[in-house]
Amino acid sequence: MYNMLTIAQRTITQLLRDPRTLALILIVPLVISSLIGYSMPSKDLLNSTLPAILAMLVLFFGFLLSGIAFLRERSQGTRERLMASPVSRQDILIGYLLGFLLFTMIQTLILFFFSIWVLKADFTGSLWQIIVFQILIGILAVCLGIFISAFAGNEFQMIQFIPLIIVPQIFVCGLLFPVDQMPIFLQWVSRFLPLTYGVDGLRAMMLQGKSLTNIGKDIGVLGAYAVGLMLLAGISLRRGHGA
Amino acid sequence: MPDQAISIEKLTFNYGRLKVINDISLEIPKGSSFGLLGPNGAGKTTLIRLLTGLLKPSSGSISCSGNPPSPANAKNIGYMPQMPSLYSELTVKQNIDFFARIYGMREKHQRFQRVDEVIKLVELWAKRNISITQLSGGMKQRASLACAIVHQPPLLFLDEPTVGLDPELRAHFWEYFARLTSAGATLIISSHTMDDAAHCEKLAFMREGKIIAMGSPSELKASTGKPDANLEDAFLYFVRLGEVTANV
Ligand SMILES: Nc1ncnc2c1ncn2[C@@H]1O[C@H](COP(=O)(O)OP(=O)(O)OP(=O)(O)O)[C@@H](O)[C@H]1O
Ligand SMILES: [Mg+2]
Repeated sequence: MYNMLTIAQRTITQLLRDPRTLALILIVPLVISSLIGYSMPSKDLLNSTLPAILAMLVLFFGFLLSGIAFLRERSQGTRERLMASPVSRQDILIGYLLGFLLFTMIQTLILFFFSIWVLKADFTGSLWQIIVFQILIGILAVCLGIFISAFAGNEFQMIQFIPLIIVPQIFVCGLLFPVDQMPIFLQWVSRFLPLTYGVDGLRAMMLQGKSLTNIGKDIGVLGAYAVGLMLLAGISLRRGHGA
Repeated sequence: MPDQAISIEKLTFNYGRLKVINDISLEIPKGSSFGLLGPNGAGKTTLIRLLTGLLKPSSGSISCSGNPPSPANAKNIGYMPQMPSLYSELTVKQNIDFFARIYGMREKHQRFQRVDEVIKLVELWAKRNISITQLSGGMKQRASLACAIVHQPPLLFLDEPTVGLDPELRAHFWEYFARLTSAGATLIISSHTMDDAAHCEKLAFMREGKIIAMGSPSELKASTGKPDANLEDAFLYFVRLGEVTANV
């Protein structure tokens, strides 16, 4: 526990000491959501697409932030040092998860409150429950980033993974086109991608006023994905397999 | 047996089909400094990574104070990688403090005192609150050493610790290493400079994954049969000896 928190604290301090990155973390979500908000032809369209857009952006930002940051641990050689130290793989992975979750949560809150306060999007459902569900999407995003960068050999490979991991999810999650109008095989693909469940859950809450207890399936799938990805990332961090 | 800090038996390691460590056996007594000497690609870093448990042997065995390298005894080990591996946004002090914490120094007061102590030791006091990106190459090397020694490990692996250091600081480091060994610590130091080698109590000359000779600097020099031979001559002597026996 102590080691885990030490690692979490270190990742946070590291980002806080890098003002330009920190500013980008705060400003980019604002720029993107203003762009989306003001490009919408009507308020109705904004209201109906907002849940899917929020889910997608949280996934994208969280993935990018944690994926690149975790990769740097390898490229600067500190991962080798950590692996030779007494810290366990769980300490490293969960420490990172906690550290990055803080920033992903801040980005999530910026996106959400900008949409409802500045863009004045309407939604039904409980505010805090919606936020809790978005944080779950954030956890998934951070796990996905850590998982991919534990496997990517270098920054270049990581960059190649971004379109591969993110773009298909955007296309088949139901943001652009309804899932049930897609060819059967794409509907199946959609069923295996976590963003589909993030979009589904957030829509149910924000558009139909459902509560967390009504979307147990979405929560379960996202949670299972997050745990599964962490376990897989753990395998790639085994001692005795280099760093 | 318990007097050996490290014993290695018939160790081999392959990277794919490349045999990087080829049947090495050796013992390193506690409280001594052991130098691994050899040209680029000899396998020094690979051997150290095997000893720290970062890599698993393809065959053969390693024991550090009686046990194979494992997370359970990782806290008794200090490891300074060949590349200065530090968190570049953090300050010198934050880096050292982080490693002190993950090596189990939880008591704040004691830790802060020790962190300050090692900062002074590597002569970075004036730079302690500066981020790593703003240090010179040699300063990074010193900060990296500080991170490896902060928890006072009984067993220290230093992969080319003196590269990029000026002669004065190099001498200073060796004085400190001598103090560590006289206090009972065991040091395994890789290098390719003969100047470093002369400071070690025992040396292994490595080449192409094999140990071609082992002994104290004076023994190695004496085996050339020339009274004025230096360690460089000794290394070349053993390289040629190896080639001759290989051709027979
Ligand atoms: N990750 C790796 N994958 C494949 N081969 C490797 C890897 N790391 C090292 N090698 C090979 O192993 C051999 C020994 O490398 P090693 O880094 O142990 O040498 P070294 O003695 O430390 O050299 P130097 O003095 O340059 O640091 C070299 O032939 C190198 O090409
Ligand atoms: Mg090396």
